[in-house]
Amino acid sequence: MKKIINDPDRFVDEMIEGILKAHPTLVKTPADDLRILVRADAPVAGHVGIVTGGGSGHLPLFKGYVGTGLCSGVAIGNVFSSPSSQQCFEAAKAVDGGAGVLFLYGNYGGDVFNFDLATDLAELEGIETRTVLGRDDVASQPKDRKADRRGVAGIIFAYKAAGAAAERGDDLDQVAAVAEDVIEHTATMGIGLSPTILPTTGHPSFELPDGEMEIGIGIHGEPGIHRGPLESADQIADRIITALVADLDLTSGSRVAVLVNGLGATPLEELYVLFRRVHTLLAERGITIAKSYVGEYATSLEMAGASISLLELNDERLALLEAPAKSPFFEE
Amino acid sequence: MRSVQLQESISRALGELVGYADELRDLDQALGDGDLGITVSLGAKAVIEALEALSDDASPTEIARTCAKAFANANPSTMAALVAGGLLAGSRGWATLDDVSVADAGAFARLAGENIANRGKTQLGDKTILDAIMPAAEALEAAADASSGLDEAIGAARRAVEDTTPLQSRRGRASWLQERSIGLQDPGATAFLRFLESWRAANDASAPADTVTARS
Repeated sequence: MKKIINDPDRFVDEMIEGILKAHPTLVKTPADDLRILVRADAPVAGHVGIVTGGGSGHLPLFKGYVGTGLCSGVAIGNVFSSPSSQQCFEAAKAVDGGAGVLFLYGNYGGDVFNFDLATDLAELEGIETRTVLGRDDVASQPKDRKADRRGVAGIIFAYKAAGAAAERGDDLDQVAAVAEDVIEHTATMGIGLSPTILPTTGHPSFELPDGEMEIGIGIHGEPGIHRGPLESADQIADRIITALVADLDLTSGSRVAVLVNGLGATPLEELYVLFRRVHTLLAERGITIAKSYVGEYATSLEMAGASISLLELNDERLALLEAPAKSPFFEE
Repeated sequence: MRSVQLQESISRALGELVGYADELRDLDQALGDGDLGITVSLGAKAVIEALEALSDDASPTEIARTCAKAFANANPSTMAALVAGGLLAGSRGWATLDDVSVADAGAFARLAGENIANRGKTQLGDKTILDAIMPAAEALEAAADASSGLDEAIGAARRAVEDTTPLQSRRGRASWLQERSIGLQDPGATAFLRFLESWRAANDASAPADTVTARS
């Protein structure tokens, strides 16, 4: 294992210290606990707060999306581990401007457990909460079990839209409805080419023989739906787009936002090779791309691979995506 | 049981419960991370303090919420949050009450247990605190009077602790031990049993009424 780290047990805290020092005008930690980051002007009076959270190892997810027009705060766990219920609650307390707090995070057992406990703790403090779960990974469950899917890169669309809704002054139920609507219309699928090495153990998260790829991989290296020989960029795009278009029931005339996301060790060049084919495939089906994102938005440390997300757009969703936003890792 | 009497009874029971902190710590060291003793002792003390600051005519639901908040913040842990969430859920069932009967106590315990089951994604037989709460709730709900109800509840909780000891733990840190958890007594279920026993010991029904309602 070759990594640029110091003490593996201090890896997460030292990373957060770096973010705070690099972006002091954008984010702050409201208490002594480094595992809670909020936007620099939090709490914003009269506006709904949005708290996300999850394990570390996915930058820019989750903590990279704390800023104006995005999430207001984040609770940060160890690499691939949930934050505690107390941290989720403290983050909510720090961003509550009196209009309530939306918990918006990916559908993983540990995170759900701790955020659910945090909703009770928040209620005891008189903070109203709602919960919306990211569950966009089409490879993790078939369509008839959509509610059980994992949340992956597509959650950034929900951050962007719900963040814009909160910024313009929507109330808690409205912000939650925006997040739910976006997640309902988002689908993602990924492929993995090489595993992640966990800093604390030094071991790869899974084994993948040379020349093979895992289709439908999760952002912690969870197995997908198929393992087979590595295919060309165009073949990979074909596979994924076919699945996503079917899942969202997209037809000629549909408009979408496209996110081609690198999982950590795949160069931007390869992501653009993928995007090129995605564009062709959607154009062939009469589907218009109204908004494009290409780069690293949700990673798995140094996993090689990529994911593609589609969000079906209407005027409202597009307007929310186009609203201004600024965080250490994202700007619109 | 009305406001002041309820507050006093809770405080006295928790004062007694603190005496079991070492036992709970030892049980939790064998199965978990050993912080249950401190969670219970700091939580109990925080609740007693919070109730001292609460007005004498606070409603039962306010009393339960005060307990929940104090317990959650005293020594933040998963167990503290689960118990606090349970107390909060129970308090919702008391929203319109100003006099708590033994059946109301049973309904409270049932709502608390259901919230713990839901939040903790746990069910009966997983060898958790739930295994003691649910049969005790049933006993309280079915009781003819407070004193026999408490005795029945203690009996039910004690049987739950004994009956789950030979089982394998299926939730929380204890589940990591897998088959090694077989034969070890569950600390959460034991904590609930000790709470009921503490209530019995501290609030003996034969005590004269004026000492029960007197405020220190």
